[in-house]
Amino acid sequence: MILQVRGLAKRFGGLRALDGVDLAVERGEFRAIIGPNGAGKSTFFNALTGLLRPDDGRVSFEGRDVTGSAPHLLARMGIGRTFQITSIFRDLTAQENVQVSLLAHARQSWSVWPKARALHGDRAKQLLALVGLGNAFERQAATLSHGDQKRLELAIALAGEPRLLLLDEPTAGMAAQERIESITLVHRLARELGLSCVFTEHDMAVVFAVATRITVMHQGRVLAEGAPAEVRAHPEVQQVYLGAGA
Amino acid sequence: MSGTARWPLAGAIALLALPLALSDFWLFIAIEVLAFALYAVSFNVLLGYGGMLSFGHAAFFGVGGYAAALLMKKTGLSAGAAFALVPLAAMVASAALAAVTGFFSVRRSGIYFAMLTFAFQMLLYTVALKATGLTGGDDGMTGLRPPGVLAKPLAYYYFALALVAPALYVLYRLVNSPFGYTLRALRANARRVQYIGVDVRAHQLAAFIITGAFAGLAGGLFALSNGNVFPGWLNWTASATPIVMAVLGGVHTFLGPALGAAVYVVLEVLISGKTEYWPLAMGIIILILVLLMPEGLTGLVKRRAA
Amino acid sequence: MIDSFLQQLAWLQNPVVVARQLLAGVSNGMLLFLICAGLSLIFGVLRIINFAHGALFMLGALIGATAGLAVLGAALETGLLRRIYRAPHEFQLLLTFALVFVLGDVAKLIWGREDHSVAVPAALDGSMRALGLTFPNYRLFLIVVGVAVAVGLWIVLHRTRWGIFVRAATMDRDMLSALGVNTRRLFTSVFAAGAALAGLGGALAAPIVAVGPGLHVQVIIDAFVVVVIGGMGSVLGALVASLLVGIVNAFGVLAFPGLAVVLTFAVMAIVLIVRPWGLFGAPE
Repeated sequence: MILQVRGLAKRFGGLRALDGVDLAVERGEFRAIIGPNGAGKSTFFNALTGLLRPDDGRVSFEGRDVTGSAPHLLARMGIGRTFQITSIFRDLTAQENVQVSLLAHARQSWSVWPKARALHGDRAKQLLALVGLGNAFERQAATLSHGDQKRLELAIALAGEPRLLLLDEPTAGMAAQERIESITLVHRLARELGLSCVFTEHDMAVVFAVATRITVMHQGRVLAEGAPAEVRAHPEVQQVYLGAGA
Repeated sequence: MSGTARWPLAGAIALLALPLALSDFWLFIAIEVLAFALYAVSFNVLLGYGGMLSFGHAAFFGVGGYAAALLMKKTGLSAGAAFALVPLAAMVASAALAAVTGFFSVRRSGIYFAMLTFAFQMLLYTVALKATGLTGGDDGMTGLRPPGVLAKPLAYYYFALALVAPALYVLYRLVNSPFGYTLRALRANARRVQYIGVDVRAHQLAAFIITGAFAGLAGGLFALSNGNVFPGWLNWTASATPIVMAVLGGVHTFLGPALGAAVYVVLEVLISGKTEYWPLAMGIIILILVLLMPEGLTGLVKRRAA
Repeated sequence: MIDSFLQQLAWLQNPVVVARQLLAGVSNGMLLFLICAGLSLIFGVLRIINFAHGALFMLGALIGATAGLAVLGAALETGLLRRIYRAPHEFQLLLTFALVFVLGDVAKLIWGREDHSVAVPAALDGSMRALGLTFPNYRLFLIVVGVAVAVGLWIVLHRTRWGIFVRAATMDRDMLSALGVNTRRLFTSVFAAGAALAGLGGALAAPIVAVGPGLHVQVIIDAFVVVVIGGMGSVLGALVASLLVGIVNAFGVLAFPGLAVVLTFAVMAIVLIVRPWGLFGAPE
């Protein structure tokens, strides 16, 4: 098991954003977390990855207790993350974006003398080509299209050689066709690189296209979990999603 | 000779040869330019590269100046021995101060970080003002002279150049190093930088200490040329100086702030020579800069070249 | 050593001294409040740290009028500040710094380098006797004005449309413009009001404060300490912290003359480290 979460809880004043979430992810899974707005999906990711301190519960990664660990420590342990609102280094070029991530991964961020421009250039280009940005090395990240920025963020996350990738709404802001293409790319890369993935998503077409297992969240807890067909047929899930667009 | 190699070479020749043609008065100005260039460039490593706006950077310049003065006047060492220790002492004193104040300051970001640096600087200002036994209080410390032949401005100029040029080179390597790239990424997106495995606070603190140390070196150098140090170097208004110089020159290039420092110093000398209302002139220059020339002087040059 | 420390505090037993210092502390606190209320509001709404606020105070002391300061404030905001709201922070900082230098020198040009002395208005001169102690009338007057302004501000902020917009703006500016509020005029009016308050403070302070060329640089320091302790954006915080700082300074100057000033900055640093949003500010 690569990720195990038990009883994760987080309160904001009177609001129980996370009310005891249990999750177990096996190695190699491509797990989707779905749920209506306000179900707690982003809060869950933030509590998992150190942006929020959970009030209760335990998180273990590859058997190691990482509850409440700082984001940079989690990254070093092998957990990568992308954000719903694309989080990249806008002032740097695409290549520099990936280079700086490679440098950090190689524990070179404290190195003060060598010229960074010459380091990891080939590997950076390789990663950019992998996500489909092969002809955008020198482009400033801020000038890339929305979809390309998301690819860049993926490349940044991959640069850290994670074993677990957490993707928060990886297809947010994309048109329907682009969404399928995008998630298919991620799925293919995950298989090629041996990554386990957990991603949150609203678009059911995307989810059912690639997910190996689905977790449904509702009001801060897990409502249902299982293979796609099981979840689709689950009566409570249908009730919760009744009226909510697919 | 390629086009791009022309400018640095011309600059180097100017720095080495021009002083031979300058009067003593202008040599003192040239030394001041060197010191403030280092001050401004190191400040910009924090601002332009690291994205950290400090309201209290003058604290390090001032501490460097006082360290030099205390070394020369209060330790009982011979002038030669004391002087030899000044660069190191100035850097160590400022670095130590930066380590302590920076440790607390980088725990906060944005406006709180800035106000913290302000508070620490004012604390130091008060100490400099009140510890009259040590610092001479409001009268400051005066009569600082480099020993022997270095008391001649031409000789001191080359001494200063011999310190400032390598210091600038070290900073240049720093901003182009993996650490420098990490700083730039930090400025661009501090949250994302955490998620690539970088300890943000530790890197910010390191940048704070390094830039503080070089500001201290600049302060020590300047104090010995200027001949004195005053508590006013630590008053909050002094923290405007590095910001003005950096923005005037342009924060997006490494040496932009050095250009800004040169222009600022020369303007100050020329205007102060004619009127006591230099602050008014400086205020107007800043307004023009901020409202009409946001890219600074290097920005103007780039636009002309494009 | 304990003995000498206790000796330092011997004056505490003297009710005349205590009363005098308390009065001085509270009235100085009220003056600080006039400066800081505006400074805090300007930060809360415009998100700008107005380093030039001390200069506005000083101009108020020199001109002796409040309305003029309101006009000046409006002019500065529309002419200058408005252009840099979207600029990087160092530009906003530099702009208010520039105003410090320009306004300071303009004041020096017009009113000269000497301390400008203003007499206490005859009607408010003299002192009052009560409880066997003497209280200077002017200081009592300052306290009354301070309370009146505090109450007036409360009424304006809580019972007028403008005030409600101002409080909403300190919480969420973007929401406000989405609701159709003319934020440009709001910003101008807030800055003008802040300037007017500072000007009022200056005009009231003139009889009891040395109004010289360095005043604008000096006064802003205490103002920042107060605004940090009280909480940036909070008028109530400005009131409480102003009184605290005023009183502590008044007694501190007697008890630990050298240390009092160091103490204020140490407290400011501690607040920023431990609880940066101060007593009444909003934690971000």
